[in-house]
Amino acid sequence: MGMNRRDFLKCSTATCAALAALEMKGGNFLRPSKAIAADLPGSLGAKEVTSVCEMCFWRCPIVGKVKDGKVVKIEGNPKSPVNGPRVCARGNSGVQLVYDPDRVKYPMKRMGARGEGKWAKISWDEALDEIAHNIQAVKKKYGPHALAYFDHGASAENMRGIFEAMGTENYTSEPAFFQCVGPAALAYLNTVGYITTGTRQYNDMGHAKAMLLVGSHIGENIHVSHVREYIQGLSSGAKLVVVDPRFSAPANKADIYLPIRPGTDNALLLAWINYVIQHKLYNKEFVANHCQGFDELKAATKDYSMDWAARICDLKVGDMKAAIEVLAKASPHVNIHPGRHSTWYGKGDVGRHQSLAILTALFGAVAVPGGIYLPTPVKPSKAECAEAKAAEVESPAASLKEGKYPFSSPFGSVTADVIQAMITGKPYPVKLLGVNGVNIIQTIPNPYDTMKAINNLDFIFCEEMMAGETAVWSDIVLPGAVYLERYDDVHTYDGLTPYLTVRQPVVPALYEAKSPYWIAKNLAKRLDIKGYTCEKEEDFINEMLKGAGLTLETLREKGGIVTYPGNPYRDPKKLEIKTDSGKVNLSIKEFADAKLDAMPKFEPTPAPPKGYTRLIYGRSPIHTFSRTMNNAWLHNEEPENRLWLNTEIAKRLGIADGEAVVLENQDGKRSLPIKVLVTPGIRPDAVYMAHGFGSRSPLLSRAYQKGAADGFMMTNLVADPFIGATSKRTNFVRIIKDNKVLDIPELRPVPKEIPYFEIKRA
Amino acid sequence: MSQYVMVIDLNRCVGCHACAIACRAEWQVPTGQDSSKRDQRRNWVKRLGPAETRHGLSYTFYPGLCNHCDRPACVAVCPADKVEKTFTDAKTGKTKKMTVAATWKDPFNGTVQIDKERCLGCGACADACPYGARYVNETGEAPKADKCTFCVERLAQGLQPACVQTCIADARIFGDINDPHSAVAKYVKKGAIRLESSAVKIGPNVRYFGKKKDLELLNATSTPKTMPQANLRRIMMAQAIKSTTQQAKNLGLLGLAGALVVKGLQSEEDDSKE
Repeated sequence: MGMNRRDFLKCSTATCAALAALEMKGGNFLRPSKAIAADLPGSLGAKEVTSVCEMCFWRCPIVGKVKDGKVVKIEGNPKSPVNGPRVCARGNSGVQLVYDPDRVKYPMKRMGARGEGKWAKISWDEALDEIAHNIQAVKKKYGPHALAYFDHGASAENMRGIFEAMGTENYTSEPAFFQCVGPAALAYLNTVGYITTGTRQYNDMGHAKAMLLVGSHIGENIHVSHVREYIQGLSSGAKLVVVDPRFSAPANKADIYLPIRPGTDNALLLAWINYVIQHKLYNKEFVANHCQGFDELKAATKDYSMDWAARICDLKVGDMKAAIEVLAKASPHVNIHPGRHSTWYGKGDVGRHQSLAILTALFGAVAVPGGIYLPTPVKPSKAECAEAKAAEVESPAASLKEGKYPFSSPFGSVTADVIQAMITGKPYPVKLLGVNGVNIIQTIPNPYDTMKAINNLDFIFCEEMMAGETAVWSDIVLPGAVYLERYDDVHTYDGLTPYLTVRQPVVPALYEAKSPYWIAKNLAKRLDIKGYTCEKEEDFINEMLKGAGLTLETLREKGGIVTYPGNPYRDPKKLEIKTDSGKVNLSIKEFADAKLDAMPKFEPTPAPPKGYTRLIYGRSPIHTFSRTMNNAWLHNEEPENRLWLNTEIAKRLGIADGEAVVLENQDGKRSLPIKVLVTPGIRPDAVYMAHGFGSRSPLLSRAYQKGAADGFMMTNLVADPFIGATSKRTNFVRIIKDNKVLDIPELRPVPKEIPYFEIKRA
Repeated sequence: MSQYVMVIDLNRCVGCHACAIACRAEWQVPTGQDSSKRDQRRNWVKRLGPAETRHGLSYTFYPGLCNHCDRPACVAVCPADKVEKTFTDAKTGKTKKMTVAATWKDPFNGTVQIDKERCLGCGACADACPYGARYVNETGEAPKADKCTFCVERLAQGLQPACVQTCIADARIFGDINDPHSAVAKYVKKGAIRLESSAVKIGPNVRYFGKKKDLELLNATSTPKTMPQANLRRIMMAQAIKSTTQQAKNLGLLGLAGALVVKGLQSEEDDSKE
């Protein structure tokens, strides 16, 4: 109703008084409030609980703000040295994960066919009894290795112990490794002696004088500390070189942007290595004191000329030279970004990251400001009471973990091979799958195989908060507590500014959701697995904090976080390289011993067949993998992805900006409709979409069938010969508009060294 | 007097949308659209490009919010009864009385505010804003106009606006432009621009700093080119729910509404200190 005099008089209530008081003080930054907390608007005056984010795996320290028993807002922990009071869009939206009406609320049992989405609510006892019964039955019938576990993130760790204790070699198979960082991690481990890029990333962009990003799209891919370091570097005057077939967010900030032909990155890197050696732009002292294999490298790269690379990469020689000169000039304070997601083309992925590591070493950018740096370990003590008593796991002769790929076993069972074992029964049958923290149908390429594999299982269960595709295909779904509702591990950061913090509940768990520890402990009981002896979750946290001289109570008093001095740099004279050789390996003997290339070489990946273009993909800053598309706030911000299509191609095909099209891949698989973004910011030989959209789970009411899923266009997988990671950029699409298949013209001629992909049609 | 200003440094902005969501969380802003198809938000990010400009390819962002304009188009159209209101300068304690409808521009800090108790929820102000910075929140007992307040409520607690606090790239800079030592004044000196066109010159106080190409794309896509006409029907409906006396009094104003030109507030100075 309108404002009349009676309403005006009503303005003597507490709310109005508080409002008026605020207006009077408007704009005073410093004057503290005298108003009573409960009267304060917005999130002001809320109770604050420190914790750790898990909207993505980066885990920023946060503060949850609680009013009337509900979490109303999340902010960064102001005492955090990495994010301070800041959180990203996803971090801010954790509130909506807790209160999403689509949450998995109760243990559920599948009633219809797998994937049909029909459920019955069951009790925790029934759910855990049934899971335990199936684990025992499958182990008895097929042996322990018929059990497998796909996992990711903090919620998955407790249950991993169950699978290990059951004696399967497949107690961990992380798509996050085998479908993501694996090749990069392996290359750096063997070149510089530690995993520079993995769960953590030791990459000092903040102090760099020049940076190189090859395909990395920081800002679209958001880990808050990285973005802050990247912006710190840029605002301090660092030059930026970006290599990407797409004009990404960092390409817009770049001093030199190289719109490379997809699949030819290593040709550019090898030509640069050769150029650096030939023009003596390398750090002679660092190479002499800390590297081995320089002469072999020099000989192996001498034929990779700039002219050759310009033709292969479809770039201009002048731009390529200008870029490497900019990087060399900043040496040793040059940041050759190690990349993260590196399962691009299968063959050559490890080599490409070896090249990046080699460039880093040639510039002496190891353990110096601006280069890659050394971690400063923060070591809480171990809490044995939080774990299962592990059995001795022995791999069978024909293994999914050992043997087939020479370097996979320290990282778990090879994801793609576990799926194939479910389908073929070879080398042995895998008949039961536990899934935790990962939506395997969206994450692992070729979801058609994954669904076929699931249909061959005796039993599949998952622990989830939101019922994505994997939950829909499960037999039992367990409701996991959201990170804001539970205790968890002690979280440590061993980067530039080390710290220790803990996750603790901001609000109690809703519905019948339970913490990962509770679930593991109660499942272990039913399987006669010893361990998980902590009474309360606070007990194992206190146990872990002992090593740091803290208790949960004292840590809370300190604002939920303690920081430690970092030790990231070394005097080059005192630098110790932790490889077996004690040197940075420009040529890797271990690779040669496994009959693989000791040094990187250019291995062309097939070009798009006539009529097709290459599908590339990346991250949206607003979403995490396929996990957040149903989040009310994030969905509102970005409900669907768009297909980036080159302006010239769009013109020739008669496609307008915003029009919806369907994609068909080289094997005839079709996507859901996706709207087109017509832009000159992508090469004509590629199309791009952000990953994770196009959900096929009807249990996600907002996200269901919004946009298209890149993974559903990936049916051609090339295994990398080092660890068996599978490629994701080896798939090609054409466009269907109004039911007509449109052939995509080849606007950039392909050099003869690059073969065309051959379509196999049944 | 102060004029609060927000500068958005597009060279730092990575387009992460944290600002838009922190604002939604802080002020419980609903998602979706209101019944007049306005996006319900106080704070937004639009992704622009990649597109060609005269200075090369640009892929940038339009982080938008209420501009707390020097000559706000939204204030004069408010049909709520005018009341006398005393404003106080937080710095000096100086007071000033003004006759204001349910929305006004604060004479001391330059922010544009809404009295939610007195707002009629008619949406006239939302229609009048060339930047689309207002919407009508229909989730409460009665519809109420809503928009960015520059978080004066948080400022009063010694905090930064929610969007500024959460900005992961420190791309949002807030302060008093009349303080020559403030960071915002320095940005203005460096050339931070306003999104103004020849037809829309109402003195927006959100400014943008960045490369030429990014500012060109921002201007081409996001600067309003025409002043919206106030929606007469809406204002008449709002008038209808008020007392007849008030209606009669305001008919004169209504007659002018079709060709509304934004004027400064009529104010009565009162320099006496309390």
